[in-house]
Amino acid sequence: MSKMSFENHIMKQFDEELEEVRTRLMEMGGKVEQQLQNAVLAVTEADSALAELVIKEEKYVDEMEVDIDEACILIIARRQPAASDLRLVMMVTKAVNDLERIGDEAKKIANHAVMLAGESTSSQGYTEVRHMGKSVISMLNNALDAFARFDVEAAMRTIEEDKQIDLEYKTALRELATYMMEDPRSITRVINILWVVRSLERIGDHAKNLCEQIVFVVKGKDIRHQK
Amino acid sequence: MTKKPMTDSSNHLDKIKKSLSRRNRAEKRFRWYGRMAVFVGLAAVMVLFTDIISKGHGAFRITYVELQVTYDQDMIGVENLTDPAQLALGDWEALSKAALRNEFGDVSGRRDKRKLYGLISSGAGYDLKDRLLANPLLLGETENVWILADDDIDTYYKSWLDGEPYAARMSAKQIQWIDELHAQGKIRLQFNSNLFTRGDSREPEQAGIRGAVMGSLLVLILTLMLSFPIGVSAAIYLEEFAPRNRWTDFIEVNINNLAAVPSIIFGLLGLAIFINFFHVPRSVPIVGGLVLTLMTLPTIIITSRAAIKSVPPSIREAAMGMGASKSQVVLHHVLPLSLPGMLTGAIIGMAQALGESAPLLMIGMVAFIVDIPAGFSDPATVLPVQIFLWADSPERAFIEKTSAAIMVLLSFLIVMNTVAVWLRKRLERRW
Amino acid sequence: MTQAAPVTKKKPVSKTTPKPMQNLEITDHQATVGKCFADNAKMTMRNVNVFYDDKQAIHDVSIDIAKNEVIAMIGPSGCGKSTFLRSLNRMNDTVDICRVEGQICMDGEDLYSPKLDVVELRARVGMVFQKPNPFPKSIYENVAYGPKIHGLADTRVDLDEIVENSLRKASLWEEVKERLHQAGTGLSGGQQQRLCIARAIAVSPEVILMDEPCSALDPIATARIEELIEELSQNFTIAIVTHSMQQAARVSHRTAYFHLGRLIEVNPTEQVFTMPEHQLTEAYITGRFG
Repeated sequence: MSKMSFENHIMKQFDEELEEVRTRLMEMGGKVEQQLQNAVLAVTEADSALAELVIKEEKYVDEMEVDIDEACILIIARRQPAASDLRLVMMVTKAVNDLERIGDEAKKIANHAVMLAGESTSSQGYTEVRHMGKSVISMLNNALDAFARFDVEAAMRTIEEDKQIDLEYKTALRELATYMMEDPRSITRVINILWVVRSLERIGDHAKNLCEQIVFVVKGKDIRHQK
Repeated sequence: MTKKPMTDSSNHLDKIKKSLSRRNRAEKRFRWYGRMAVFVGLAAVMVLFTDIISKGHGAFRITYVELQVTYDQDMIGVENLTDPAQLALGDWEALSKAALRNEFGDVSGRRDKRKLYGLISSGAGYDLKDRLLANPLLLGETENVWILADDDIDTYYKSWLDGEPYAARMSAKQIQWIDELHAQGKIRLQFNSNLFTRGDSREPEQAGIRGAVMGSLLVLILTLMLSFPIGVSAAIYLEEFAPRNRWTDFIEVNINNLAAVPSIIFGLLGLAIFINFFHVPRSVPIVGGLVLTLMTLPTIIITSRAAIKSVPPSIREAAMGMGASKSQVVLHHVLPLSLPGMLTGAIIGMAQALGESAPLLMIGMVAFIVDIPAGFSDPATVLPVQIFLWADSPERAFIEKTSAAIMVLLSFLIVMNTVAVWLRKRLERRW
Repeated sequence: MTQAAPVTKKKPVSKTTPKPMQNLEITDHQATVGKCFADNAKMTMRNVNVFYDDKQAIHDVSIDIAKNEVIAMIGPSGCGKSTFLRSLNRMNDTVDICRVEGQICMDGEDLYSPKLDVVELRARVGMVFQKPNPFPKSIYENVAYGPKIHGLADTRVDLDEIVENSLRKASLWEEVKERLHQAGTGLSGGQQQRLCIARAIAVSPEVILMDEPCSALDPIATARIEELIEELSQNFTIAIVTHSMQQAARVSHRTAYFHLGRLIEVNPTEQVFTMPEHQLTEAYITGRFG
C-alpha cells in the first residue's frame, strides 16, 4: 500500500516518533503471541512452571501498553496528526488495548493451566484446547503480520478465520458438555477447560478487531459491526 | 559534519572577541563622523546667522533729531488743508528747513546751509505734512518734533555711538552739529517703523520692506491657490486613477525632471508664455504667481504622490472591500490620510517659492517700485528680489537694511517650516 | 455529482519502499476529486482561470459554495487560494495585469458580466482581510461606513441600530459600547479583526470572504474569531482561506485543497482530515510538504 508510508514528513522527528510507536506495537504483539503460545502449551503439556512464567510475564505486557499509549498521546498533543497519521495513531491506541486484553486472556489460560496441572493426569479435553489454540495462535500471527505490512487483503482473510474459530469453539463446547454428562466427577476439570476455550475464543475476537483496525488505517473505512 | 573538532568553539569565541573590540571602535568612530558632520553644519548656520544678525540688527533702529517746528501757513503756501491740489504744491520742506535754521542760527552760506539741510532726511517735509494732516489744529502752532535723520547721519551716529565713527561722507560742520545735538539730547535712536511700513525708496532711511512683503504675500497666495489644487489633483490622478503605461511613465519621468530644472528656466518660460504670448503685464504678482506655480508644481506633485503612496494599501482594500467606489476610496480615506504629507509638501514648496528670485528677475519683478502693491495686478517686487536690489545699492546704509531684510525673510521661512512640522504632527493619524 | 476521474486509483507499489515524492507531481488536465458541487449552491464557479499577465495563477477551477456553509480553502503558499478568493468579489479588478476567465455566478447571476456594478457586488460579498485593517476613524465610523456609502440607513437612529447590531453579531458590542467614538485602531489585534468583521456584516452581505483572518492573531483571539465564524454561518455563507489546517478543520464544513493553482480536492472537512481522497491532500495535511 503506497499510501501507508509513514515517512517523508517535513518534521523528521515526526517520522521517527511514528516509526517508534509502530515498532513498539510490533514488539508488544510478539510478546503477546509468545505469552499465548506458552499459555496454550502450559495447558496441553500440564506444565505449571511454564504457566507461572506466563503469569509473571504478564506485567511486561501491561507496561508496554501504558508506554505505547503515552507515546500516542504525546504524538497527538504535539503533532496534531491528520489523515493517515491520525488513523495510524488511533489504530495503535486501540490495537494496544486489544493486545493487552489478549495478554490478559493468556494469563487467565495460564491460571487455569496451573489448576489443571494440579488436578489429575487425565488428558481429556486437551485435544480441543490444542486444536483451537493452534487456530487462534495462527490467527493472531496473521493479524500481526498483516499489521506489519499494512496488508488489507491479509487482514480481510484473517477476519474470516475468526468464523472458523467460532465454529471450533461451538464444537468444543458441545464436546466438553458431553464429557461433563459422561463423568460428573470431571465437571470441575472440564469447567477449567471450558474457561480456557472461552479465553481462546475471546482472543480470536481481539485478533479480528486488530484486523479491522488495519483496514481502517489503510482504507479509512470502518468495517466494524458490519454483516 | 564538520571536519574541525568541536573544541574549536573556544577558538571561535576568541576570534569573535578579538574582532569585537575592533568593531566597537569602528562603531564609535562612525558615530563621531556623524557628530562632526552635524557640528560642521550647525557651525556654518551659526556663522551665517551671527553675520547677518550682527550686520542687520542696527537697521531696526534709526536716528531721529528733535527740532522745534512751527507750522507756518505762509511758509508752506497752503490755505486750505482739505484741498489736495494745494497740498501737492505746498513747500513742505520749508518747514523742516526753517526748523533747522532755527536750531542752528549761526549757519550762513549756501554750502553750509546745504550741509545743514542734509542733516535730516529729504523726506522729512512729507512726514511733517502727514503729521499736520492728521492733526489740522497744529496749523500755525509750534511743537517739538523728532524728525528722521539723513542716512549718512544715521550711519555716522550709530558708528559713533559704537565708538568707531564712520565719517567718510560727513563734513566737519556736520560732525560738530551732531555733537551739539547729542550734548543737548536732541539726537537719538528710535525703533525704525519705516522699515516695516514703507515701500522701497532711493533714500535708505525712507526705504522699507512693506512693499516687498506684500508682493511676496500676493505672489505666494496666488502660487498656493494655483499649485496646491493642481498639484494634488495631478498627484491623485497619477497615483490612483491613471493606468500604468508608457504614457504615465513618460509623464512621471518628466515631472521628476521638471523638479530638477534650474528655476531661471521657469522665469524664461514665464516670460515667453505669459508675458509675450498671453500679454500678462510684467512685474505684477499674477505673472510671478504663475511662474512660481510652474516651479513648485513638480515639488507638490512629487511630495503629494509620496504622501498618497504612504497610505497603507490595506486601507484602500478595506474601503474597496466595503464597496466604496474609486473616488470614495480616495476622498474618504486616501486624501484625509495623505493630507498632512501633502500640506507639508505644499508648505515646503511655498517656502522654496518665497525664497526664489531668479525666475522673477526674468519677468520684471526686479523693478524699483515705491508703492505698496494692493492687488494682484499692481506692480510689485518680492523679498528676495528686494534683498538683491538693496545688496546692489551703493549707499552704505543699505548694507544693514539688506541684512535686516534677510532676517525677515529667514524668519518667514522658519515660521513656515515650523508650521509644516506642526501641521504634520497635528494631523498625522496613526494606523 | 462529482467530476472525480479515477485518478486516485492506487498503483501497486512495493510495500516496503516509501512512495517517492516525485510521483506526487500533478499532471495537466487533472480533475478535482471529491464533492465539488452542491444542491443549494450560493455561488457557482465553472472553469475559472486567473492570469497575471501570461502567468496562470488558477487553472480551471470548478466548485460550488453552498448556502450557509463555511468552506475552507487550504494549500501551500502560492497555490492560488487567495487569488481565487479575491476573484469572488472582483478584488482582483484593481490589479491591472490580472485577468479572470470562466464563469463565477452568485444566485445564477454572472459576477463578471459588464452589466453588474462592482460596488453592488461588494455590498453583497463582504471581505475580511489578513491583517486587521480598520479605518483610522472611530469604532462607530468604521461600522457605519458601509451603510453610509450604500445609503442603508435613513436616519441617525437607524444607523445607530445597524452599528449596534453589527457589533453584537461580531461579539464586540460589550467590549466597545462605552467607547464607540474612540479610534478603532486603538483596539487589540483580535478586537480590530472583529471590528472588521462587524464592518463587513454591517451591510448585510450574503457571502463573507475571509482571507487568512487569524494569521496575525494570537490563539485566544483566533479562538474568538473561530467561534464567531461558527455563529455567523447561521446567517451568512462564508469562504475562508487559511494557512492553518487545524483552523480549517475546526471551523469549516467543507474543505477545498489547492495545489499549484489547481483545485485538487473538495470534500466534507471531516473526511479531508481523516481520509482524504487525493494523495496530494494527504501529503499536505499530514505535513509532508507545504
